[in-house]
Formats: sequence, structure tokens, C-alpha cells
Amino acid sequence: MRRAAAAGIATAAAALANMLPSVGAHAASPSQDYALNCMGCHGTEAQGIPGKVPPLANALSRFMRTSEGRNYVLRVPGAANSALSDEQLAAVLNWLAVTYDSSAASSQPAPFTSNEVAALRRRPLLSVLATRSAVVHNLATTGPSPPSQY
Amino acid sequence: MTKHWPGVTLVILGAGIASSWAAAPAKPQPPPLPAEHLTVATVGPKSPHWVYVVDYAYNNEIDSRVWLFDGDTHRRIGQIDTGFIPGINISPDGRTTAVATTYFARGGHGTRTDVVEFNDNNTLAKTGEIVIPPKHAQTLAMLFTIGYSSDGKFVYVPYLTPAASFGVLDPARKQVLGEIDTAGCTLVFPWGPNRVSSICESGRLLTVTLDARGKEGSRTTSEPFFNVDEDPVFAQAIPLPDGYAYLSFLGQLHEIDFTQPKPTPRAAWSLVSAAEKGTWRPGGVQVGALHRTQQKLFVPMHRGGDGSHKDGGTEIWVFDLKSHQRTARWPIDTRVTGAAVAVQVSQDPAPLLFVATDKAHLLVLDAQTGKLQHDEKNLGQTPQLLLNP
Amino acid sequence: MKNLDRLVENSARSLAKRTSRRSLLASLGQLLTGAALLPLLPIDRTARAQEPARPSAAEQKCEYWKYCAIDGFLCACCGGTSTSCPPGTQSSPITWIGTCHNPADGRDYIVSYNDCCGKVSCGDCFCDRNEGEKPMYRLSRNNDVNWCMANSESNYHCSVSVILGVAEK
Repeated sequence: MRRAAAAGIATAAAALANMLPSVGAHAASPSQDYALNCMGCHGTEAQGIPGKVPPLANALSRFMRTSEGRNYVLRVPGAANSALSDEQLAAVLNWLAVTYDSSAASSQPAPFTSNEVAALRRRPLLSVLATRSAVVHNLATTGPSPPSQY
Repeated sequence: MTKHWPGVTLVILGAGIASSWAAAPAKPQPPPLPAEHLTVATVGPKSPHWVYVVDYAYNNEIDSRVWLFDGDTHRRIGQIDTGFIPGINISPDGRTTAVATTYFARGGHGTRTDVVEFNDNNTLAKTGEIVIPPKHAQTLAMLFTIGYSSDGKFVYVPYLTPAASFGVLDPARKQVLGEIDTAGCTLVFPWGPNRVSSICESGRLLTVTLDARGKEGSRTTSEPFFNVDEDPVFAQAIPLPDGYAYLSFLGQLHEIDFTQPKPTPRAAWSLVSAAEKGTWRPGGVQVGALHRTQQKLFVPMHRGGDGSHKDGGTEIWVFDLKSHQRTARWPIDTRVTGAAVAVQVSQDPAPLLFVATDKAHLLVLDAQTGKLQHDEKNLGQTPQLLLNP
Repeated sequence: MKNLDRLVENSARSLAKRTSRRSLLASLGQLLTGAALLPLLPIDRTARAQEPARPSAAEQKCEYWKYCAIDGFLCACCGGTSTSCPPGTQSSPITWIGTCHNPADGRDYIVSYNDCCGKVSCGDCFCDRNEGEKPMYRLSRNNDVNWCMANSESNYHCSVSVILGVAEK
């Protein structure tokens, strides 16, 4: 029973890997990059800390629905100044969006590409909270939105 | 006999005692001591050979303090209390020690209040405070967890929540003027009357220029000058006359010229030869000190590998900042004194080198010859940062 | 295999709450093929423990392999263990991360160094090791800051080290 399940799971894992933009041969997996670089503050379930650290679960993928939201995500401090390469950052964000979002598979946003990351992340936001508030306000008019405050 | 003449008995005994006194060798009793007056000591005239020794008191961390120590008389002059994981710095005019720190309402627990406390360096008394948001960045003892603008008009306090930002304070009016988001870049490296830089994971410096009200006027980022994965730099920069120098784990010195429109790195140079690189490394907490006029750089060095960047130095290496030549290597008797975790040099023409060790000794060396003049044992519990007056 | 079953069971329980079935299977597949780590939940484990701490002799020593990037007092000497906070303290929800080599099985493990908070310094078994540690501008790998900073009671008492999973090569 376990062995059969394992075989099915391995196939699904391969399917997931194919969904992600290709990552460099030497890059660690996105889940490991998340653990080493982000999870210490954003949490083991990407849940954040109320008042201190924004959640990524049920939030990140919603930001990814619009270009304004994607712009915001790539310019927050954790992304803009991170030592992760553009490829690694894209992979981590895409993995988070798939893994920590309870909405249906059909409404998953388009994954980030490393080109998109490279184009936007070099200009960190000046005022994160104010920008977040404005972006969330706009997102709320077109579908599920991430929390404005945290 | 005792019953009928008790008084007589006493008298006889007393007479006996008196006569035995009279029989002792003659020595005049000294006059009685005069009544004393209880006073409060003064600090005395300032000497360049003083050093402020920051003791985080790890075993009792809410009870940190700063010792003011005289490098000539080897005497403790006094103490400044500094709360929990403080940031400490001295005003540009030398008259005030500013402390950014945390107090809990019930000692070890309870509501957290963060304050910047101002202490008069002529009396070591607290003279005022500014309550700040409970966000002060609580971290290693560094010169960059509180800072002054060059004219003393602004005080900067890094915040960490874990989001990074810094507060701008007006020390004269005792007000918080505002808070500047630093996009994940940390600490405060002030320059001039209104510029503050912070150091980023990307290997860059973020620099914010403030307006007259302490609000953000503009910001820039430098080109990256180090790679955090290959050879990170200690966040504990070494102040230079024209900027700050950042020393890397592998012994590269990155001098950054802050007099330019934005902080501009000079070509890095190596404290270690090719043969020494990777083996001899700088380490500790306060990893370098510069005598500004003699242009001499003092660095605690140890033999070690990856992960040894906080190991204390077994030697002090001395460099000429201009020529980049190493001019001396002074071994430390670590079995007796412990290894060097902090260095500071007095800025006068006959300078002293102060070395705090991981056994809580404070060593006083002749900064020109390396001769050990004094070993002060147990100066505090965990002394890790040294400031010039 | 028993340990793996337990890991899978725990992860399934926590994942099922919030992911689609496809994502769940995909993530489990990554765990079973050993290609990625699946975080265990330090906070959950503390809550479930509810029993007196029995630290081993090894985890009360600074040289213990899991402590390769720890900085502070070992909770194992303070009434807890390397994976439990002492009674009356609260674990920090934010943490720094290390990668330590276990000589017993030759693997590298990713370790979470949570602080235990709300009481004054434990004062015993101070240990400061820095393998892979970075200065505070790389916060996730920095052990200098007070990781109790985001707790309602933010005094620092001691530090634990909790295995999150096997590190990939």
C-alpha cells in the first residue's frame, strides 16, 4: 500500500517540478531556499506573525493576480534585497504560491519568470505599508485579496 | 565577701586593672579621627586615555552597564547603567553618552518600554530620555545601534521588529521626529549633518538624506562591494576620517569614502598574504580600531576556519592604513588573559591600545610598542565594545 | 520507515488543512524522494510535549552537533531540552536557521534555532558557535539579534535547536 502510494507520489512530484520555471542545476530546491532565507520570519506555514511579519499563505498568490500586485511582491525588502538569484527568487515565490494557497488549482496565477523578477526587484519600495494598502485596495475590487494589514 | 561589699570588690578590681594599664610600655594614644563628610566623587578632568567599556552582562542581560576606565591610573572612574541589549554612543562634542535600551515593567518581564537615555559625561548622571517605539534593534554590541549626526542635532536609532527601519530623534527637544523604512538594510552609519547609511544583504549600502525636519529627502544605493555568500563583511565597521571601513571574514578591508555624493568604495586591500588567507582571520566583536592621525589600524587576528568569525584574537596585527603594510604582530597570552574580542586605541600622540578579552580582562598596551602595561581582570562580565571619550 | 511514517502523518495532517490534494501529493512526493525538506512545526511540538524534560548528556554540551550555529544558553541546561523550552517560557515564533553536519549518519540537517522567552537570562551552558552564520544584514542566518523581539514577553532566556529536515546537497 505504501509502496504504491509512493510511486504515485513520485509521479506527482515530477509533474510539479515540470510546472516550475527551470532552476539552475546547482540551485537548491525552492522549499530549501525558503527554509534557509525566509521561513525564519515568515513561518513554517508561511503564516507570518500578526502585527510583525506579513503572511504569505493565502496572500502571495492573490498579489500575483495583477501586475500591480506582482510589482509589489518583487519589491518588498525580503525580495528586493535578498541574496537569492533572480531564478531562485522566482522559484521560491512560485513554490509558495502553489503550496500555501487553498484556492482551486484552476485559479493559480501565472508563475514568475526570472526575467520578470530581474526587471522589477532592483527598486525596493520606499514605503511598504502604504504601497501594500493601495495594492490590496485595488485587488479587492477584482477578487479575493490578501489582508491589507497584518 | 561578695555579698556585703560588692561595691568595694568592683573598686578593687578596677584599681587592679588601672594599675596594670599603668604598667604597659608608654605609647601615646593617637588623637581621635575627625568626623568624615560623605561626598559624591567627581569624574575629574577628561583624559584621552579613558575608555568606555560596554558590558552586556550576558548572564544577567537586563543588567548591562558601561564602565568608564582610566588607562593611566587603571582605576574605574564610574558606571553608566544601560538596561537590556543596549546601543551606546557618544555625542560628537563628547559631553553626552546616549543609550538606546529596553526596560521591562517588572524587571525581567512585563510591558516593554524602549528609551534613549542621555548621560552627562561630566557627572555620569542621567540627564534625560526620549521614549521611542519598542522596536530598538537588540543585537551584538556595535557602534552602529545608535548614532549621532555630525552636528549632534539628530540621533538615529535602528529598529528591528524583524522589519528593519530607523528612528530619527531630536535630542535637544527630546522628540521622536519620525521613522525611515530601510527595506531590510540594517544599522545606522551616520555621515555629515543629515545622511544615514544602512548595510544590505545585497552587498550595498542604502543611504538616506534627511531634510531639516528629519524626514526623508532622498535615498540612493551604492554599488555592491561585497558578496554575502563568498566573503561577508562584519557589520561592525571601523570609522575612518572620511567614511567607514568594512572588514571581511577573510581579511579584506573595504574602505568606503563617504565624502562623495554617495558612499563610494575604494579598491579593497588584504590584511593577509595569499598564504595566510583562510587561515589567519579577523574575529571578535569590535574587530578593528584606527588611530586617525597616525593612520594605524589594529585588528585582533586568530587562526581558524569557516565559522570562526567571532573567535577572539590570539594576536593583534598592526597596519599602516596608507601603505597597507603590516607593521607589527603582538601576541596575546590567551591562557592568562583570554582572547581579544574588542580593540580600541586612544587618539592622542602617545596612544594606548585597549583590548577586551573573552575572559573579561581589559588589557592596556602601549599602542606604539605593543608592551602590555596593565591587565585589568574582571572588568565586568562580558566586555565587548570600547569607546573613546 | 517508522520515523518516515510519523513525518508523513504529521505533514499530511498539517498540509491537508490548507492545500489542494494535488499540491499535497506533490509536496509529500518531494519528502519521500528525499529531494526537499518538509518543515516540522517547532511550536506544535512544544505544545504537544507536555511532559518533563529529559535532556541527554550530549545535548547539554556546546559541542553537540545540532548546536553548530547556536548563540546563547542551552535550554537543555535550563529546564528544557534541545527541542523544548523550559517551563513558564514561550518559544519565539521567529528564528534563525543553521545547517549542521551530523557525524552519526553523515547527513547535513537544517536546524531552526528558536529562542525561549519571557524570563531573565538562564545563565548556564553559554554556547556561541557560528557555522554558516552571517551578520545581521542577512537576518535568517544571524544569531546575534534577540529572536525574542517579536514575542509579547521579549526577554531572552535560552535557545533550542530543532531539526527541520535533511539539507539537500
